[in-house]
Amino acid sequence: MTVLASIRDLAVTHRRDGIEVAALKNVTLDVQAGERLAIIGESGSGKSTLALAIAGLLPKSARIGGSIEWFAPPLGGRDIGFVFQDPSASLDPVMSVSKQIAEVVHTHLGLGWPASRAKARTLLERVRLPDPDSALHAFPHQLSGGQKQRVAIAAAIAAGPKLLIADEATSALDTIVQAEIVALIRRLVTEDGMTLLFISHDIALAAELAERIAVFRHGALVELGTTRQIIDAPSQAYTRTLLDAHIGLDADLLLNRSGLPA
Amino acid sequence: MSLLAVSNLTKNYRRTGKPVAAVDDVSFTIEPGETLALAGPSGSGKSTIARLVLRLIEPDAGRIEFEGSDFLALRGVALRARRARLQMVFQDPLAAFNPRATVARVLDDPLRVHGIAPRTERPRRIAALLERVGLAVDLAPRAIHEISGGQRQRVAIARAIATKPSLIVLDEAVSALDVSVRGQILDLLLDLQRRERIAFLFISHDLGVVRAVAHRVILLDAGRIAESGDARTVIDLPQSAVGKALVAAAPRLNRYRP
Repeated sequence: MTVLASIRDLAVTHRRDGIEVAALKNVTLDVQAGERLAIIGESGSGKSTLALAIAGLLPKSARIGGSIEWFAPPLGGRDIGFVFQDPSASLDPVMSVSKQIAEVVHTHLGLGWPASRAKARTLLERVRLPDPDSALHAFPHQLSGGQKQRVAIAAAIAAGPKLLIADEATSALDTIVQAEIVALIRRLVTEDGMTLLFISHDIALAAELAERIAVFRHGALVELGTTRQIIDAPSQAYTRTLLDAHIGLDADLLLNRSGLPA
Repeated sequence: MSLLAVSNLTKNYRRTGKPVAAVDDVSFTIEPGETLALAGPSGSGKSTIARLVLRLIEPDAGRIEFEGSDFLALRGVALRARRARLQMVFQDPLAAFNPRATVARVLDDPLRVHGIAPRTERPRRIAALLERVGLAVDLAPRAIHEISGGQRQRVAIARAIATKPSLIVLDEAVSALDVSVRGQILDLLLDLQRRERIAFLFISHDLGVVRAVAHRVILLDAGRIAESGDARTVIDLPQSAVGKALVAAAPRLNRYRP
């Protein structure tokens, strides 16, 4: 299997109030071309910092150590698509849906505006936005949260990236819409042969989508394995803790039902 | 007599001219010491119901009886006195509090406003509240923005119980917490309920959590009750379309297995 990105001893520190804060500590990890890899962890685990580092989106003030070696060095925005948690923040509120997607196509694929707009319409169909013709003329505030995230995904894949990074892309959505977006991401990644980096705090959601899972805590990689290894036979106590903390539909009841009011 | 009895509650919003029913003819009761969960997709009306029950907004129609009195008819001093018995904890305590206030200030407010303890006695009360929710007393002088999300939600719970409520509305109160913290906060809430017989109106999009902590559940769809009953019974075998969709969409750890 081809390695898309070889991450070696990656360390990222931020300066906050004059103090150096380590966001990532010596992370070594290979991202395989074409795989669906989940990066999971709680707040402060470094999972989003890793996503930003891979996408080359860390702020200039961040101190970066170690290396990321690419099989073919990517051009950010064209070769890496990024979907953030909050589509309202990533979409331009005063730009039509058509323009935001067409702009990516125009910039990176060198198509003229009419061809770029036609491609935007095709992309809206691909992300299964209902009524793509009227959605093209809509502004983000006229769409629901799920619809906005579909538009953000359309923009992220518009230039045909090799790598799609979804950073908590479904966390602000309700459960039903979340399942739809996860299914959409899975379909798009498969159809286009993209590599997926799925960043999430939800180990169950990660298990449904990813072939491999990397568990992060306090800026360090705790454990990396196939989904089966991580879910069924985790080697680290912390992974076990995360699995035990998941409250699924088959979880033991926390509520002692004796003494229930009549 | 039920602790809370909501009948035929209706709330319309105007959206681009035409009225949309956010809550449409909803009725339910909550008994003392009981947890009733409201679950449903975004826009199903669960948070609007919470805001109506708290009288943060007024309904277009319907009745709310709380502790035996017509809650919607209360005004002024009587309303303020009754509000002490009905508290709330929201998803994001940083948005609910003045971020620069200290923990002590946040807990002092309800004790002062509701005349629960004289000034000299309040530091002792604040210490007891912190202890009750599992926080160190030396957290009192810290600013709200300095403490962790889990600590902040414990402070929100301490503030809610400061006025000795009979009902607490929990609107996605554990949804933003890390999973390792979420279990501890749920344990704390259930312990409070057991010892002090506090009832909860528990609003959540997470059916796994609802099933684990609620006695009964109401599943909402587009402002109406789609289905209701014993939480485990409803979630283990949903009958309504929205119930089936919510259960099918809940992430499962074991779904990857062939």
